[in-house]
Amino acid sequence: MNELIPLMVIVPLMAGLLISAFSKFNKATKIFAFVVAICLPIIPLASNYGLHYFGGYEPIMDNVTNVMFHPAITYSFTFLQQIFIGMIGILTFLVVFIYLTKYKEVSGPYLFLLFLGTAAVTAMLLTDDIFHMFVFFEILALAQVGIVAASSIDYSYEMALKYMILGSIGSPIMLLGIGFLLALTGSVNVTDIAYAVHNGLVNITSPVFLLSLGLIFFGWLYASGLPPFHTIKSGIYSKAEPHGAALLQSFTVISMISIVLIMFRIYSVLPIFEVLVVFFSILAMILGVSLALTQTDFRRMIGFLAVGELGFIGLGIGLGTPYAITAGLFQALNEIIITALLFIGFGAIVNATNEVDTRKLGGLLAYHPKVSIMLLIGGLAMAGVPPLSGFQSKLMLVQASLSCGYPEISILAIMVSIATFVVFVKTFYTMFLRPKPNDLEVEGKDVPRAMVFAMGILLIIIVLLGIFPDIVIKGISTFVGGIL
Amino acid sequence: MAYVHITILFTAALLIIIGLYSAIFIDNIIKKIIGISFIEEGVNLFIVALGYAPDGVVPIIMPGMDPAWFAANAAYPLPFGLVLTSIVIGASTLAVMLALVMVLYRRYGTLSTKVMLADTSKQEEYNE
Repeated sequence: MNELIPLMVIVPLMAGLLISAFSKFNKATKIFAFVVAICLPIIPLASNYGLHYFGGYEPIMDNVTNVMFHPAITYSFTFLQQIFIGMIGILTFLVVFIYLTKYKEVSGPYLFLLFLGTAAVTAMLLTDDIFHMFVFFEILALAQVGIVAASSIDYSYEMALKYMILGSIGSPIMLLGIGFLLALTGSVNVTDIAYAVHNGLVNITSPVFLLSLGLIFFGWLYASGLPPFHTIKSGIYSKAEPHGAALLQSFTVISMISIVLIMFRIYSVLPIFEVLVVFFSILAMILGVSLALTQTDFRRMIGFLAVGELGFIGLGIGLGTPYAITAGLFQALNEIIITALLFIGFGAIVNATNEVDTRKLGGLLAYHPKVSIMLLIGGLAMAGVPPLSGFQSKLMLVQASLSCGYPEISILAIMVSIATFVVFVKTFYTMFLRPKPNDLEVEGKDVPRAMVFAMGILLIIIVLLGIFPDIVIKGISTFVGGIL
Repeated sequence: MAYVHITILFTAALLIIIGLYSAIFIDNIIKKIIGISFIEEGVNLFIVALGYAPDGVVPIIMPGMDPAWFAANAAYPLPFGLVLTSIVIGASTLAVMLALVMVLYRRYGTLSTKVMLADTSKQEEYNE
């Protein structure tokens, strides 16, 4: 038993509630939010790996079937959870820091939503219970909608409602799939369900089992923003405040990997599962980058690029070999950091120019050289240029698809990376290098220092992971070895 | 008593189908949201039906009950717990959706999704 494990969920949840309740004390709220945000990355680093059984109910033996089962919700904490929760903690800290320094009067409910989202994705990563995962998936959807609706950008309410309606159809469909699994196995614990499936206690060719895969898969597509939900996902990024969008995309990546890992443990016996994951991932890669090419609003462009990058993660997991899954998870970690850097960087440009249309921007390199250089490096990392972190994970993915006997997928992955590079270079040239349009006013407007600080921290992590990828790859591959 | 089980499952399926139809095809946002509630309740009903035991007893073990008889006859309590949580989440989602609809109704003066939730990028271009 490890008592620190549930604290990773309880601390942001309780802190959010307290902040929301006592937000009229502005200074105290600011200090409290800052302290909690600092604690978030520290708790996973201080915690030991292990399991936490809620209520102390450890697995027990069923006397009739002689099979161990889990009577209570179980949290599992390994290196994978540690690195992802730690990264989400760092990102939440940076986002809260940007928010606290940007406004004199802070909104308690907005801070609550930021912490609620963090608690929800943390629980989704930790839990070994598919219904518990569903509950936090719903809570996460509410937090995401709140973050979008709270922004001051036009049409944010419309986008929030659209996302909510789609989510309210996707979530019960996913719950129906979970209900089918419950009907087949009598349990909602993923370890118990996987044991039943892999040991012949469930007929894997039965229509009910296949239907449960289809329904949960549909929920996963919605959670991940893979096609056909790619447009709405990029839409909510563009309607949130830039620092909020940085956090929202990390929530998407975490919910994507937590659901797909649960599905992988249950449905990896079905070859169709891997085919489906690879198919939708490739579709996301192609659609994401092609739609990004046509955008003039740079927030939407990054949103579509982020969807394309999600395809790389799904590709790694769909290929199904230990090396490919490790590559996919490493790519997920890189995407969280790189996309957050891009959202914050472009947010700084919005702050300085009040403009999001690339056609109306230009010559910003002379005015904001620090932000420009950091954005350039972030964009190169996303495109997979060495020696940055994106290069390492994409190289692993190309090697993995080659070793699986799919050279065509490798070629496609390289082509999508090149297209990402083209999109980014085109946007960078338009915004930073070409002469400044006469009607663009940039003088006198400065970029918030907190944003530059946040970008600096993320950039250091990108470069470190690019030069020393083994820091995380070894731990992730050990985790992958455990689930296969 | 098998017909009870079949009736429950049939009703659940009917609720889900009606809900999906109105959520996808009906233009009025309130009717859409009612449809979404139908889907949620249909799924909840299905999960409740999983715990149903024909001629069963309430899953609370009382003094003097034979554990083997209780295990064979009691309803399965796990789905009931899950549904309780699901209802709470559904209610919160519903509240947030209706709150957003209130704001948008004040802005647009209509409940039509074709007006309210039109492609925002086109709306922006139109405004420019």
